Amino acid sequence: MQIFLDRLSSGLTAGSIYVLIALALVVVFRCSGTINFAQGEFALFTCFVAWWLSTKGWPLALALIASMAVGFVMGMVAERALIRPVRRRSEVATLIVGLGLFTGLNGADGWIWGPADKTFPELLPHSPNDYISIAGSRLHYDSIGIFVGMLLVVLLLTLLFNRTPFGLQMRAVATNAESAALSGVKVGRVLSVSWGISAAIGSFAGVLLVPVLPPNQLDLSSFFSILIFASAAALFGGLDSVKGAVVGGLGLGVVESMLNGYGTFLGGSLQLTLALFIIVVVLVFKPTGVFGARRIERV
Amino acid sequence: MTATSVNGESFDRGRPDDAELVAARESAGAPRPAHPTHRGRRPWVIERGSVPHLSLLLIGLVLSAAVILWGSGLGRFDQGQLTRVIIYAIAIAGLNIATGYTGLVSVGHSAFFGLGAYTTGILVVQAHWRAEATIPVAVVVCFVVGLIVGLPALRIRGLYLAIATLAFGVAFPEVVARFASLTGGASGLTIRRTMLRPPNWTGFTLGQKGEWLYWLSVAILVLVMFVVHNLVRSRYGLALMASRDNEIAAASSGVNLAVVKTVAFGVSGALTGVGGCLFAMYLGSLVANDSFTLLNAIALLTGLVIGGEGTRFGPLLGGLAVVYIPYYSSNIGQGESAAVIFGAALIVIVFLAPEGVAGAVMRLIGHVLRVIPRTPKPYQPERSAAPSAELP
Repeated sequence: MQIFLDRLSSGLTAGSIYVLIALALVVVFRCSGTINFAQGEFALFTCFVAWWLSTKGWPLALALIASMAVGFVMGMVAERALIRPVRRRSEVATLIVGLGLFTGLNGADGWIWGPADKTFPELLPHSPNDYISIAGSRLHYDSIGIFVGMLLVVLLLTLLFNRTPFGLQMRAVATNAESAALSGVKVGRVLSVSWGISAAIGSFAGVLLVPVLPPNQLDLSSFFSILIFASAAALFGGLDSVKGAVVGGLGLGVVESMLNGYGTFLGGSLQLTLALFIIVVVLVFKPTGVFGARRIERV
Repeated sequence: MTATSVNGESFDRGRPDDAELVAARESAGAPRPAHPTHRGRRPWVIERGSVPHLSLLLIGLVLSAAVILWGSGLGRFDQGQLTRVIIYAIAIAGLNIATGYTGLVSVGHSAFFGLGAYTTGILVVQAHWRAEATIPVAVVVCFVVGLIVGLPALRIRGLYLAIATLAFGVAFPEVVARFASLTGGASGLTIRRTMLRPPNWTGFTLGQKGEWLYWLSVAILVLVMFVVHNLVRSRYGLALMASRDNEIAAASSGVNLAVVKTVAFGVSGALTGVGGCLFAMYLGSLVANDSFTLLNAIALLTGLVIGGEGTRFGPLLGGLAVVYIPYYSSNIGQGESAAVIFGAALIVIVFLAPEGVAGAVMRLIGHVLRVIPRTPKPYQPERSAAPSAELP
């Protein structure tokens, strides 16, 4: 029972991380109908910003806010300057611009801060004694912190989507951009701000998760695999659904943790392959995911 | 005939965005029919198969042969670089089938490259095969895996397939690490030099391994380009381009989208896998975390975009870019500047020259020289492809 609870909590922690990045993907997809491949690299860049500020003596909480602001601006600028001009031309062009951002940002991180791994300061209490005990299993404060952070983001996003005028505009743009524009919604501004929000969520997630993930260091390929897990989670839940991202992310985290614990056939090392398998199966059998809205394309 | 082309011409002047669009689509092997330009001088129009056309082809052939011979006489290092260019050109030619001609962006072709390389490596090291004999096996393996990874293309659009390929690219090093007994895992797989001895009939000694590999790569590149050329001009190639340009129109004209796309992905993976085999022979040691990561996949894609998507010679130029940009920029920016240059190049090219370098050159040549089909025939690939490309 104790081992089970341990695995459950580690699965929920990993799952919360996937949920956060998946939410960033969902916010972009809902509005602009595209996937931001550079999502992970936005987060990585802002993590480097936070790390750099913390080495300058900034308290980490302040560095987190600053990096979220940087992320917000990056997201907005990227959407306005790079994505919007090519979005109408073709999907392929959008994808390629996204990949250009991906590799460009990754290289820029290494260029500015050097390719060596960085030890990242921890925002949350993390010493081995910082835990509460439930039925003999240890629940560490940093795991709880990430879980609570995830719930907070979900709550804020739900409020934003459902309770604010801007959220209404976002939903209008997602449903039908042309009608929204005709009703006076500034579609361009909505898109830019959504990208900004999404990048800010990414940087929030990044700063929380880098100290917790296995290497516990900031390295240039930190976000490759997280992006894959998050995409698998978002696809499973349905790319346009907040609820789906939460269920998909937590589910993936727990399943992965349980499989590693109980099923030895994966050898504890084929998590990405599991994610790939989930992606292919979901795409082949239920492309809209579990909670996704069915999209009808006009011929 | 002139309705669409005149239209295209007026776009050239008035609306730059649409001109890019038109140029991008036309660069994909569907040359516009000859028509008088409005800028005074007419282009020189020649018929396919006529004496001037054949002599131009002959000149091109002689020039290529000269370049190949020049390469064979280079020193060891330069020849090695050139061999790498050719290997990457083969890999990018494979990617071109999926991304350039069919419009399925693949972010995971490094995995096919690696799959080919490891097929060669494992068969040579574990089963003591001759290295060049492993190529057909790699083709089959990569084709089958390509079909599986391309499965999502059965139901949905390119965006989603891109996610699947991305995951494939990221997961590949992990799979290699998992089967460490076969692949050497994280420490890598080393093919001993003597195992890559050139075959006796070539007359090359072990010391001339570099030259043997150069000639082998040249031969395979020529073969691959020939295959791609014929494939693209075939009925199947038309179906590829039709499904890229307008899925609905293609489907309503009887193209079986699911089959066409999935098979395109398989063929694409198989060709890239061949590049991987040669890469294994060239390098002699395989480390998945170095040579077959996501960034390598993006490098392949960058090469294709720089060279020109959906062009015959784009992959060659792409190979040059992929090898020489990192080589010349290795002193700048802590060794990370190549990634920045690749990223910037991707974005700049999408904005300014979507047809890539090869496409831009072909367009410029089109101002002075046009090749038209010899006689009007009831079935003409060039003309039947053009209108579907122009439809909105």
